[in-house]
Amino acid sequence: MEFAELIKTPRVDNVVLHRPFYPAVEGTLCLTGHHLILSSRQDNTEELWLLHSNIDAIDKRFVGPLGTIIIKCKDFRIIQLDIPGMEECLNIASSIEALSTLDSITLMYPFFYRPMFEVIEDGWHSFLPEQEFELCSSATSEWRLSYVNKEFAVCSSYPPIVIVPKVIDDEALRKVAMFRHGGRFPVLSYYHKKNGMVIMRSGQPLTGTNGRRCKEDEKLINATLRAGKRGYIVDTRPLNVAQQARAKGGGFEQEAHYPQWRRIHKSIERYHILQESLIKLVEACNDQTHNMDRWLSKLEASNWLTHIKEILTTACLAAQCLDREGASILIHGTEGTDSTLQVTSLAQIILEPRSRTIRGFEALIEREWLQAGHPFQQRCAQSAYCNSRQKWESPVFLLFLDCVWQILRQFPCSFEFNENFLIMLFEHAYASQFGTFLGNNESERCKLKLQQKTMSLWSWVNRPSELSKFTNPLFEANNLVIWPSVAPQSLQLWEGIFLRWNRSSKYLDEAYEEMVNIIEYNKELQAKVNILRRQLAELETEDGMQESP
Amino acid sequence: MEFSELIRTGQAQAELLRGPEVPPLRGTLCVTGHHLLLSPGAQATPDLWLLLLRSVDSIEKRVAGDSGTITLRCKDLRVLQLDIEGVEATMDIARSIEALSSLESVITSFPFFYRPKSLRLGDAWHCHPPESYYKRVARETNAWRLSEANEDFNLCPSYPRAVIVPRAVNDDVLARSARFRQGGRFPVLSYYHAPSGTALLRSSQPLTGPQKRRCAEDEELLRAVLAGARPGARGFIVDTRSVQAAKQARMTGGGTESKAAYLGWKRLHRPLERGRPLQESFVRLVEACGDLEQSMDRWLSRLEGCRWLSHVKETLSTACLAQMQPSNGGACILVHGTEGTDSTLLVTSLAQIILDPLSRTMAGFQELIEREWIQAGHPFQLRCAHSAFSHTRPKHEAPTFLLFLDCVWQLSRQFPLSLEFGEGMLLALFDHAYASPFGTFLCNSEKERCLCEVRTRTHSLWSGLNQPKEQRKLRNPLYVPNPSAIWPSVEPQSLRLWQGLFLRWTRPPEPSEVAWEKVWQIVTDQEKAEGSPPTVSASESQP
Repeated sequence: MEFAELIKTPRVDNVVLHRPFYPAVEGTLCLTGHHLILSSRQDNTEELWLLHSNIDAIDKRFVGPLGTIIIKCKDFRIIQLDIPGMEECLNIASSIEALSTLDSITLMYPFFYRPMFEVIEDGWHSFLPEQEFELCSSATSEWRLSYVNKEFAVCSSYPPIVIVPKVIDDEALRKVAMFRHGGRFPVLSYYHKKNGMVIMRSGQPLTGTNGRRCKEDEKLINATLRAGKRGYIVDTRPLNVAQQARAKGGGFEQEAHYPQWRRIHKSIERYHILQESLIKLVEACNDQTHNMDRWLSKLEASNWLTHIKEILTTACLAAQCLDREGASILIHGTEGTDSTLQVTSLAQIILEPRSRTIRGFEALIEREWLQAGHPFQQRCAQSAYCNSRQKWESPVFLLFLDCVWQILRQFPCSFEFNENFLIMLFEHAYASQFGTFLGNNESERCKLKLQQKTMSLWSWVNRPSELSKFTNPLFEANNLVIWPSVAPQSLQLWEGIFLRWNRSSKYLDEAYEEMVNIIEYNKELQAKVNILRRQLAELETEDGMQESP
Repeated sequence: MEFSELIRTGQAQAELLRGPEVPPLRGTLCVTGHHLLLSPGAQATPDLWLLLLRSVDSIEKRVAGDSGTITLRCKDLRVLQLDIEGVEATMDIARSIEALSSLESVITSFPFFYRPKSLRLGDAWHCHPPESYYKRVARETNAWRLSEANEDFNLCPSYPRAVIVPRAVNDDVLARSARFRQGGRFPVLSYYHAPSGTALLRSSQPLTGPQKRRCAEDEELLRAVLAGARPGARGFIVDTRSVQAAKQARMTGGGTESKAAYLGWKRLHRPLERGRPLQESFVRLVEACGDLEQSMDRWLSRLEGCRWLSHVKETLSTACLAQMQPSNGGACILVHGTEGTDSTLLVTSLAQIILDPLSRTMAGFQELIEREWIQAGHPFQLRCAHSAFSHTRPKHEAPTFLLFLDCVWQLSRQFPLSLEFGEGMLLALFDHAYASPFGTFLCNSEKERCLCEVRTRTHSLWSGLNQPKEQRKLRNPLYVPNPSAIWPSVEPQSLRLWQGLFLRWTRPPEPSEVAWEKVWQIVTDQEKAEGSPPTVSASESQP
């Protein structure tokens, strides 16, 4: 195996590990192809198993013969290894560096991981597009499944099966695809059963400088409108950015050609601006100076909460158009793979009670992020500690999870899952033993044969023993639309993610457990009460029967 | 009765708007001596809407056509709008509210007229005498005694009649020391930490003046403190002013203890904000909280600019520092600032909540507030005369007590199981400190309360709060007694804006309250199902 070449020193004794919330521990450090392992050999709990792919950056320092490696993880944890011997230290450091930046996907851990648990339900088949479509087709016959992208020839970032208006044939879809960025023609994202209105998403139209138009595109979009109804096109870029896009062949829908549609421009940031915001935020959270002013101004300067507010505001706007104004919506930015998905998926959380259940949320991630072609591989290649600024990293998915957390915080009884579920998804998006978040789109996943060669995250999560960790004890199905407040005072820093390694959550966890215990105990008592009531009723009827003759 | 002269109109038709999510209320508006009433008329719910006039912080009137609008900004930070029919009626009602809400006289205030059926006068006023705390101390050590040297409030007008002092010093020494301390506030015991055998004391600044005057009796008193503590114990004097401010105080007759005069005592300076800057910080924060349309940047920079969270942080840090010593090695601590009635009490009371599990129970917390704030002479009437909306220039107003409550809230957030009382208790204390039907927070000191006969002529807040139907809102359903000290994290990332207070009326009905309500429901059901009464506070089950 080629990993052996990268591992210059497979093991070192007398290494001291420092990590958050644990006392320093001395033990043997081992490097394997995918893990960094530290074992104290005294106590099994005193061990560290760290995936190389979770390592975001490393620093090394030397004091005399003692070397120190500081490992910064993608989940924002920072750990320190003190290694005796300069050569060992250098070897370990260069091995970690090489192993944590492997280029080839097929060398990643998910291709080697063999689960130790019994697979009850294969997660790769848990959320098939056909099943998801049934939810919509049971309510309306205006939409159909199209297999036009079966070979990924029409749009490389779309899945093989998409939902489109029934009246539009595959030939027209091919033409529309030519007119949309990346071939991302408008497809159904969400069908609002309450009033039959829909959310669609797409890439930007390729109008260019001379205002090109596409009859099929216009026909497709109009096909979704009821007679006399208007719709909204939500462009996630500000007007001037959309106008500038024309110079590069992109653009936006002209009123003249789409007279039944009103265009609204919002400004959601993307790419490196978000990445820099994350880097600044995590830096501020790790800042050790005890100065309130400095913390608050760094928090402000990171702009993270501003991004949260913008995304949530746009999602609320979309949900409002749909639910309150009864209008259909088309959402797109430039490529339609980032801010577009944030808006469509959050609007569903607001509108659709099912997406607030565990399975419904998994289905949402599967449908609106994985199948919809959010390039996880590119966006989550590096996290907040990376120095090499590449172009494609961006915490788009983390921002989405943060927005969900904000809504969850405001509506603590309306979600079937808890904060830990969101944290788990964040971790697995950045480094995982499962294949779910590998690749940038369905086409790449098919080529990698992930279904055959790796395990799905959902196979593991949806086992009862795991689910219990992620279930919100306060959940009570709420069939209403939930409108989050987007006032700046209502939005908060997500401590569970950003201060996770700086603050011990021991007491908060205790409180949470206490609450769970109380609720469990209450259920038991309630069951007891019910049994006693039934017995009482039985005894009363017996009494009645004895008295009656 | 003189109120009738101030009430310029009998009644008027009005509509009341109470916030974004609450439906408006229509009815007949009435001004009485202490209340604003709105009776919704026969057809609607018979509920009468009632507002204590004392809780009005500022009033604004506008007239348009033949109707008027009055905006009332309350001391509990609520904003109410009244649309009134008739220009004259509007002006009359506004003037009546203005006059009645700013009455200065204590004995005409509502607590002297409040006679609820469920309570008896005189109840609970004797719940927390200094003697009961002394009994607790005496069980642990005999180094202290209860002195009644201040029986007639002659030594110190802002102290209660009885104070706890070292057994080794007699009342003459106290009298001399009192003359050497501002306002006569000689060093007294605030808290005895039994596990380490050390003590927390408080006083006011020594009156050294520019000549660096000394007072042998004052030095003797502090020597006696060390002698009575664990052998070898050291002393720390925590001055809540900066070195510079303490030095400047000499020019006006004040000053700070010199090292040479107080052997065994080391002085630390931890500047805490007080007085007007604190009030301004409060005003600016409330202003920022009221604007829901601003951008995130603007909000965060206003939150930073008002410096409220910095004050919370400094206060908590100082409280932690004051206590670091007793539990770690055993040192006695004396806390003072200038007058010893504001930042001093903040530090000593917070230190006790951190260290003493008893003060985290419902009864213990009430006892702490009574002993360390009310009897210790925090001038509530001056400090809480106006809240954040008042347009009058602040003179003596300062949200010192609110800052204390905020710090306790921060503790409760970091240790959600360890406090028997919940956020509801802290909110109730804030509301009652600024405007209350009860007499507990009236006046500025025990002496004034005695002169006004507050104890015999008003009801105690504690008897009001300790009624079973009130307790439900005030207790923490998750409480589990925690015998250890609770050291809070004081890093800026760990401290939060107290939304429950500052955004209580502006945010939509808080959904987390729904969750809270649910937990409560379950706990109550559980208690019913088990057939046992709710657990009483730990202090009551103490031997």
